[in-house]
Amino acid sequence: MGIENLLKSNILVTTVDAVVNWGRKYSLWPMPMGTACCAIELMSTLASRYDMGRFGAERLSFSPRQADLMIVAGRVSIKMMPVVIRIWEEIPEPKWCIAMGACASSGGVFDTYTLVQGIDQFIPVDVYIPGCPPRPEGVLDALVKIQKLVEQDSIKKRK
Amino acid sequence: MNKRPEIEEIKARFPESYVRDEEFRGDISIVVRKERIFDIFKFLKEDENFLYDYLVDITCIDYLKLNEIERFAVVYHLYTHKNNSRIRIKALVPEKDTVISSVCSLWKGANWMEREVFDLFGIEFIGHPDLSRILTPDDFIGHPLRKDYPLKGRGERENFKVVK
Ligand code: SF4
Repeated sequence: MGIENLLKSNILVTTVDAVVNWGRKYSLWPMPMGTACCAIELMSTLASRYDMGRFGAERLSFSPRQADLMIVAGRVSIKMMPVVIRIWEEIPEPKWCIAMGACASSGGVFDTYTLVQGIDQFIPVDVYIPGCPPRPEGVLDALVKIQKLVEQDSIKKRK
Repeated sequence: MNKRPEIEEIKARFPESYVRDEEFRGDISIVVRKERIFDIFKFLKEDENFLYDYLVDITCIDYLKLNEIERFAVVYHLYTHKNNSRIRIKALVPEKDTVISSVCSLWKGANWMEREVFDLFGIEFIGHPDLSRILTPDDFIGHPLRKDYPLKGRGERENFKVVK
């Protein structure tokens, strides 16, 4: 029996995209941009009952430079928005963004002078989660949606 | 009804400042004019009988349509550890002259509270070591807790400088 026969059953042919995306998809490192009450719900999503670790995203990255997913959880005031933009820009490509809760998505009930009416005016948002605050299931659903987006990504697209 | 001695003392010592006093469920408020406010506090803090050594809070009221004598009142809450009692002083501040003396030299804790009132109501505290905005961004224009400030702002939330 030659070595060629052994190799036959050990080699898979695939694309670089498929392998890379598969790796990225199950090892998202979220940057928790928690500015208000939604962040508490984000914490409970990470805790043992809902366990975001099941989807490979339990490693919160408190440094934006090591993150690839930003979860904006909470109200963003006009004083905070420049900071959020700065942090978003410090995350290296490829990166994705979740707007968690009514406030981050649209300003929520706070239709006042001080609150940004939806962070999507300033940074690109991939998935919005409705709710005030969203249930942990909602956060997990958004995470799965992000994983689907990651799947469609191609290293050729990003330069 | 017996009045608390603070009221009588302030009436006697600062007759031109005293406007009226109010009592609600054992809590007294004294409404005064703003001119001699520093002396009133110095007296309340240093008088042996009162020793109001703790400044609990400073806040402000905008009586825009509430028929008060003046438009604003800066409200001071004091507490004395000696007598275990509280007092509220309201200093009336007219709309045309939104200036009042700072009490930072009596209580260090007044610093940030006065900055907050300055930021949100535009009352200037004379003698404050660093009277700058504390809550709104540094380049904010206007004083948003005044009752005539539009709720949705004047475009601040759409146009602001972005840190790069
Ligand atoms: S959406 Fe609700 S829970 Fe979330 S930050 Fe806004 S007010 Fe808080």
